[in-house]
Amino acid sequence: MNVAAALVGDRSFRIPRSAMMVLILLLGSTAGLFAKKGSGTANSTVVFSARATHLLGFEGAKKNSTGTLSIQDGVLRFQKGSDPAVQVKIDSVQDVFLGDESKQVGGLPMTVGKAAVPFGGGRVVSLFAHKKYDVLSMEYVANDGGVHGAIFELSSGQGRRLRDELTALGAHASSNDERKQSKMEVSNERN
Amino acid sequence: MKGIRTVSPFVLAAAVLTIAITPSPRLLAQPATTQLSRASDNSHTPQWSVQVKTVDPGDASISASFQIAIYESLLDELSKTKKFKQVFRDGERTSSDDVANLLILRTKVEKYTAGSETQRAVTTVSGATKLTVRSQLCSQDGQVVFERTVHGEVLFMGSNLRATHNLARNVAKTIKQSALPAPSISALAQNGQL
Repeated sequence: MNVAAALVGDRSFRIPRSAMMVLILLLGSTAGLFAKKGSGTANSTVVFSARATHLLGFEGAKKNSTGTLSIQDGVLRFQKGSDPAVQVKIDSVQDVFLGDESKQVGGLPMTVGKAAVPFGGGRVVSLFAHKKYDVLSMEYVANDGGVHGAIFELSSGQGRRLRDELTALGAHASSNDERKQSKMEVSNERN
Repeated sequence: MKGIRTVSPFVLAAAVLTIAITPSPRLLAQPATTQLSRASDNSHTPQWSVQVKTVDPGDASISASFQIAIYESLLDELSKTKKFKQVFRDGERTSSDDVANLLILRTKVEKYTAGSETQRAVTTVSGATKLTVRSQLCSQDGQVVFERTVHGEVLFMGSNLRATHNLARNVAKTIKQSALPAPSISALAQNGQL
């Protein structure tokens, strides 16, 4: 025990003072850096971010374009690559609907390839070459009062997350049955 | 004789070609005048504007994404027809000038058959997505000026939502081909077009 203490103990106290100063300065600067990053994220908090395909309706975004869908600073933002981001205020989102859809993967090249497989082999491939997606649809109102509808396709599970985040921030989410019920009530009131 | 000989056959050929190619001044003037008359026709012929209402699902169990897709596709396709002066969204604030010549497009889903892209890819003959809607164009006073039942479907290739695009294209095509009544005289007077 004495030998070990002599080996470790003696050496631990032999760190030069200048090295200690450098270490302290280094720790201090990294702490400052982290603090700066923290304050930066506090200004623009990304609540949700995921890859999504914009199918249609989001004003300013191209149809069938894939990009990043995020919730940041009270807005829902869609950005495709280096293109300028398109966004709507979450306050203006009136209704959010979640559904799922099964799609064939591979697009047109895959379809052509499957058609070229002899003895109907392409059909067997089709049986397995499909993927489930979440389809998130929403209605929002623009500044001019016009109702817009937008549909996004997200990987399975992401749609539910996005819907939950949107509802947590004040958007209303309803199922198809609820929507039908409310429409029927409106029509009854008119009659 | 000497003078005639000096004219090069190349020059003669060029002259003949120029005369043959250059259209007469009357022909040149004709398209311009027709264009002018068309422009003047357009300036005097009043045009309807249309406001597209959100889709009524009716009794069909159609998903919200389909309703939204029909609504957005209708806006797109109606704008492409150029039959209307302006195409407004549901709830969009319109100026008093536009309101005078405004038609309202109501769409009610009558029948919806949910399909499957995988089923279509595997069997080819089954899994079609089919949509049937009732489209109505009404004037401000509630008078129906156009009413048709229109179908849209995806039979072989493409996603299920493609049915909504096909449906909207068929609705727009039907409206384009139909003869709508001219906006009323009172509306024109109100609009300052008379």
